[in-house]
Amino acid sequence: MQGGTDMLLFWVAFWCYLAATLGASVYAGTRKDGVRAAVFYVTLLGFASNTGALIMRSVLSGHPPVTNLFEYLSFFAWAIVLGFLLIWRRKGLEILTAFAATIAFAMMVMASMFPSDISRQLIPALQSYWLWIHVSMAILAEAAFAVAFVASLMCLMGDKRGHRRLPDRNLLDSITYRAIGIGFPLFTVGALFAGAVWAQRAWGTPWSWDPKETSSLIVWLVYAIYLHVRRTRKGSIALTSGLSVLGFTLAILTILGSKFLGGLHSYG
Amino acid sequence: MTLWLVVAAVLVPAVFLKRFRRWLSSMTGAVWILVVLAVMSLLGVAIGQSLPPDAYTSRYGQVLGSFIYRSGLSEIFTSWYFLLSAAVLAASLVACSFGRLRRLANERGRGRASRVGSLLLHVSMVVILAGGVVTAVFGFRYAAPVYLSAGEEMEVPEGGFTVRVNAASTEFTDEGVVSEYFSDVVVIEDGEEVLSWRIEVNRPLIYNGVGLYQNEMLPSATSVREVLFGIVILTEDGELPLRTIDVPFNEEFEVPGTDISLKVLEFLADFTYDIESGTASLVSLSHRNPAVLVRISEAGSVIDDRWIFADVQTHRSDAGLPCRIFLFSYLPDYERGLTRFELSRQPGTPLLFIGFAAMSLGLCLTFWTRTGRKGAGAPRARSKTGSDPA
Repeated sequence: MQGGTDMLLFWVAFWCYLAATLGASVYAGTRKDGVRAAVFYVTLLGFASNTGALIMRSVLSGHPPVTNLFEYLSFFAWAIVLGFLLIWRRKGLEILTAFAATIAFAMMVMASMFPSDISRQLIPALQSYWLWIHVSMAILAEAAFAVAFVASLMCLMGDKRGHRRLPDRNLLDSITYRAIGIGFPLFTVGALFAGAVWAQRAWGTPWSWDPKETSSLIVWLVYAIYLHVRRTRKGSIALTSGLSVLGFTLAILTILGSKFLGGLHSYG
Repeated sequence: MTLWLVVAAVLVPAVFLKRFRRWLSSMTGAVWILVVLAVMSLLGVAIGQSLPPDAYTSRYGQVLGSFIYRSGLSEIFTSWYFLLSAAVLAASLVACSFGRLRRLANERGRGRASRVGSLLLHVSMVVILAGGVVTAVFGFRYAAPVYLSAGEEMEVPEGGFTVRVNAASTEFTDEGVVSEYFSDVVVIEDGEEVLSWRIEVNRPLIYNGVGLYQNEMLPSATSVREVLFGIVILTEDGELPLRTIDVPFNEEFEVPGTDISLKVLEFLADFTYDIESGTASLVSLSHRNPAVLVRISEAGSVIDDRWIFADVQTHRSDAGLPCRIFLFSYLPDYERGLTRFELSRQPGTPLLFIGFAAMSLGLCLTFWTRTGRKGAGAPRARSKTGSDPA
C-alpha cells in the first residue's frame, strides 16, 4: 500500500530541514537575530509536517511508525528536533539550537534511501505492545544522545580558551551531560530492559548476543564510561566530549547495523 | 634468608590484594573494566559470532581465520576472558557499593536521593549479572528448534510432560501476508491432559518452568496445495509452445487439448536420493531443493513416475517423455504446516526482572530527582570532596 499525504508531508519536512540547515549556516556567519528567527520558524514548520507525516502513517498502517528503517529514521528526526526545541530559548546556546534541523536532515536523507511502503499487516513477531514501548523509548533516548552529540562536537571544535563564535565550553559540557542524563536512563530502560523482557516472551531468552543487542550494549557501555569519566578529576572536557561523539556514532551504526549484520532484529 | 622469603611470600600478595581491592572500588578501575568489556563486545560484533570455522578462514584468511577460531574469539561471549571480565565487573560493583553504603550512612541532607539511586543502580547491576549466572548454571536451552506438525507429540526435555500439537496453522490476510502463526497444544502429564493452550508468537506456553516459544511456522515439507508447471508438448512435427498449468496435489489433471495427464504424487521440500536403497527422502525441512514426483500418463496408460526438480540447472529428468516438464513454482501447504518451537528454561529471569525494576528506579533517582539533577548537573568535579564519587 502506498501512502500519499504522509509522503507529501515527509518531503515538506525534508525540505524545511534542509532550508533550516542552510539558514543556520547563514546565521553562523552573520549572527543576525532575524536569520535565527527565520530558522526557528522553518524548523518549526518542518517539525509540524514531520509530526503530521508520522500521525498519518500511524493512521494508515494501524500501528506505530517504527516498523522499518524509513519509519524509524523519520521518527528519529522528529525526536531530535523536539530535543533541540526544548532548549531553544536557553541563553548562550543560540548557535547550537540553530543547527537543530541539521542532524534531523541527515536522518531524513537516510530515511529517504529506504523503502517507504506502508504495510498494514505487522509480521507476527512485532505484534506486541512491547513494540511501542521498546522502540519509542529507544528513539527518544537516541534523540537525547543526538543533542549531546552536537554539543560535544561544538565543544571539540572550540579550543581551550573558548572559541569566539561557539558557546561557552562549560555550558556545552553541561548540556551534553544533561542530555545524556535524560538519554541514558531511557536507553537502559527502553532499549535494553524492555527489549529483554520482550525477547523473553517472543524468543524464550532475554538476551541472545544478537548483533543489535550487542551493539546496543556497547553504546550503553560507552555512555556508562562517559558518566564515570566525567565524574573524575582526570576526565577532561575533550575526553568526555569525544566519548559522547563516539557513543552517538555507535548508536547510528546500531540503528543501521541490522541491515548489514543480520540477526534477529532485521525487519527491513 | 628463608625467613625473608616467607615474609615476602605473605606480604607481597597481601599488598597486591589490597591494591587490587582499592583499584576495584576506584573510578579508574570501573572505567577500565567497562572499556575492556566494550572493546571485547565490539570485537565480537565485528568478527561475527558462532560461524563455522571455514567462514572465518574464507573471510579473514588462513592464519587470522584459524586464530580467531582457536582463540575463542568466534565465541567471545562465552570465552573465559569475557566471563572473567564480567566477574571482575561484578566484584568492582560490590566493592564500590560497600563504599557508597559507608558514605551514605555518614551523610545527611541534600543529594541523598541521588546517592541512594546511585547505590541502587550499582547493586541492581550485580543482581542482573547474578540472574544471568543462575540461568547459565541451572537453565537450559534446547540447541536446535523442534518442528512438529498437527497430530504429533513430543516429550519435553527436563519438563516432565508431553505436548501434543492439535493444530498448527498460519493465517494470512486477504493480500496474502502472514498475519499470525498459532499452535493449539495439549499438555499431558502422567498420562492425563492437564492443559490446553494456544501458542502464538509473543504468547509462549510455560509449564513446569519450561517454556515453548514459537516464532516461526514452516509450510509442510512433504505436501503442497498446487504445483505450477511449464509444459512443452512434443509432437512429430516438433515442439508446441511452452504453456503453464496449475496442477492440484494428488489429483489427476489432463493437459487441455492433449491426451497427456499429470498427477503429483509426492513432494519433497529438500530432495535427496539414496542410490543403494533407491529411495528419495528429505535432507531438511526447509524448501531448499524442492522436487515433485509426477505420474505421466498418455491416453489413459501410465508412461512413468518421474521426479521433477525446481532447480533445472542441475537436474534434467524428462528424457523419453512425450513432453518436457518444468517445475516453476508451487503453493505451499500451510494447513499441514510445521510449527517451530524453541525450548528453554530460564530460572534466572525473575532475578533479572527484579534487577531491571531496581535499576530503573535507581536511574530515575540518580538522574531525574531534583537533588539528583542538582548533584549531577552541577559543573564537573573541581575539588576532591565536592564531586559525586563513583
